[in-house]
Amino acid sequence: MLEFDGLRKSFGEVRVLEGVGFTVQPGSMFGFCGSNGAGKTTTMRIAMGLVRPDAGEVRWRGRLLDQASRRRVGYMPEERGLYPKMKVGEQVAYFARLHGLDAAAATRAAGEWVERLGLGARRDEQVEKLSLGNQQRVQLAAALVSRPEVLILDEPFSGLDPVGVDSLAEALLGQVREGVPVVFSSHQLDLVERLCDSVGILARGRMVATGTVEELRRREAGRLLRVVVPDAAPGWADGLGGTRVVSERAGDTLLELAPDTDDQTVLGAALRTGRVTHFAWQQPTLVELFRGAVAAPAGAEVAA
Amino acid sequence: MTAPHDPSSGELVRLVAGREIATRIRDKGFIISSIVILLVIVGAVLVQVLTGSGEDQRRVGLVGGDAALVGALEAQGEALDVDVEVVEFDDAAAARTAVDEEDVDGALLAGDDELLVHESAGGTLEAIVQGAVGQLAVAEQLTDAGIGQLDVPEVAVTALDADAAADQQQVVAAIFGVVILYSLLILFGQFIAQGVVEEKSSRVVELLLATMRPWQLLAGKILGLGLLALGQIVAIGVVAVGAALAFDVVDVPGDLISTVAIVIAWFVLGYAWYAAVFAVAASLVSRQEDLATVLMPTSMVLIVAFFIGIQAASDPGGLLARVTSYVPGLSPLVMPVRQAAGEVAAWEIALAVALMLVAIVLVVRVGGRVYSGALLRTGGKIKLREALAAERA
Ligand SMILES: Nc1ncnc2c1ncn2[C@@H]1O[C@H](COP(=O)(O)OP(=O)(O)OP(=O)(O)O)[C@@H](O)[C@H]1O
Ligand SMILES: [Mg+2]
Repeated sequence: MLEFDGLRKSFGEVRVLEGVGFTVQPGSMFGFCGSNGAGKTTTMRIAMGLVRPDAGEVRWRGRLLDQASRRRVGYMPEERGLYPKMKVGEQVAYFARLHGLDAAAATRAAGEWVERLGLGARRDEQVEKLSLGNQQRVQLAAALVSRPEVLILDEPFSGLDPVGVDSLAEALLGQVREGVPVVFSSHQLDLVERLCDSVGILARGRMVATGTVEELRRREAGRLLRVVVPDAAPGWADGLGGTRVVSERAGDTLLELAPDTDDQTVLGAALRTGRVTHFAWQQPTLVELFRGAVAAPAGAEVAA
Repeated sequence: MTAPHDPSSGELVRLVAGREIATRIRDKGFIISSIVILLVIVGAVLVQVLTGSGEDQRRVGLVGGDAALVGALEAQGEALDVDVEVVEFDDAAAARTAVDEEDVDGALLAGDDELLVHESAGGTLEAIVQGAVGQLAVAEQLTDAGIGQLDVPEVAVTALDADAAADQQQVVAAIFGVVILYSLLILFGQFIAQGVVEEKSSRVVELLLATMRPWQLLAGKILGLGLLALGQIVAIGVVAVGAALAFDVVDVPGDLISTVAIVIAWFVLGYAWYAAVFAVAASLVSRQEDLATVLMPTSMVLIVAFFIGIQAASDPGGLLARVTSYVPGLSPLVMPVRQAAGEVAAWEIALAVALMLVAIVLVVRVGGRVYSGALLRTGGKIKLREALAAERA
């Protein structure tokens, strides 16, 4: 189990993390979401020992993640970084050696990964001569080459074309199947929704939501009600107690209900306006969950 | 696949050093600069040979004259520190041809008291001939005047510094040494600095620091390039000694070799210090364009050290040379000159080395912290104080 526990970090006056904690099970994929500047990169850098937290720690298998165990972590930094003038194969092998493989094993593993990520033909080219997407593949190879026990990837999908996204997703799912916990940050929430077993949303220095997408939905479901009343006058739902109109367009109304509001009173009110063509609890998309979680005022935390 | 292990500090440092060496020896610029330096050394020795032998030897043709004159010419030459070889000719015509063909530097027609030369006599030749002829004439006239045996008290020469001439050669060797030391320090300092900035500007440093500590990265870079630099200076030393021996430029090969060894030893100390300072300074910027500004102060120190070193050659016992030969950073370029001039006590050398070692430890300690604090801060130039603060953050 990979545990992030009570991480706090301030840069001068700016308090970025104020007690960030979540866990990632082995063989599961964790999508780490949050607005720009929320502190995702800072959290991951703390895990990699690149930023010193003011408080809190990151544990792997119950033990503090230190310099030695970090070597078993595959990391992809947000700012991609490779030696521009070094050849693809040699570069990947070099990183394998830094992670503790001996020379022969490093060369072999580098060859395998370069081949697997479709860079076999570019093996002897300098990295700077590759396209951005291909450089990203080299970066991924550098993260995967040492058979890491844990993967921490900061926005690994950014800058990839759809085919690249699919092949990266495939590679990550392969790792998950082998029992590796994978944490990645992303702003592509559809991707997170599709790939991740669990999701965490970071806002205002804390995890405002963590759990499986299903769990988050269930929390939110029962609160958003979609009612379509084509004949109703605009503002038909304004007077209803215990509800808030989220949106209303030509009778297609999204209502947020307070926990103790009875949905049947809403139905009654809707029927009084005329025909009701749709009446159902809304399944929020991750994007909507994200918006809700990020926008919610401090204190109104959602946790599953 | 064999299981990965946890590499020790030594292994990591070796890996980094290995990468530095592998990258450099495949770099054309590096190879070319190395070869150019070696060629310059051989060239310098050759120049020494050509100009040196021209100065110290004279062939003087002689027509007529007796053994006394030959003796006087040779004695005069010795007094002026010139090897005089007297070649006797039968007549003036033969002497003239020899002068024309530059077989001899000049020819003395003893009967006519005339000196034949090709273009102009040049001070030394004229002094030799004039002195010899004059001496004989005086002796003859004294004899004629009846003063047969003139008691001229002979001046006994007691050399206080019998090794002066040999020392002079060592000083010349030391100057060469200082020039090379300076060039290599600048060259490899630049290499280190560029390497550090390359890792920062390409952001690869974040990936590196996820697997090793900043000091391991710093040590690996300094060690890797240091081995290359050491290889280069040893090669230069070997070539220089070889060339000097082959062309017979030096009188005491042992002294030359010891001077070369001294220069190399000081190079190691100087390199360790300058490389660390250059690396730390470079870590404060993220772009190659900003490098010159941060390297400026250190480069200035190096240039000052270089000029003091050269100056010390002419005045090795002077106050400036003595004081600066203890100052860390300056000592690697001054002390070798003083040592070559043979005017240093063992304790002075020990003190200079000790101070230099302390300075190296300090730079590595403090510099290592600056380096750690600055490496992950990209964009703009970072102030020293900020870097130190960031390291603690
Ligand atoms: N070294 C630093 N010094 C000062 N402030 C920093 C430093 N690193 C990060 N910050 C601040 O911390 C906050 C969080 O940054 P971080 O990069 O972790 O966000 P993020 O969630 O990764 O954002 P994004 O989605 O844009 O990548 C930002 O306000 C940033 O300005
Ligand atoms: Mg980020």
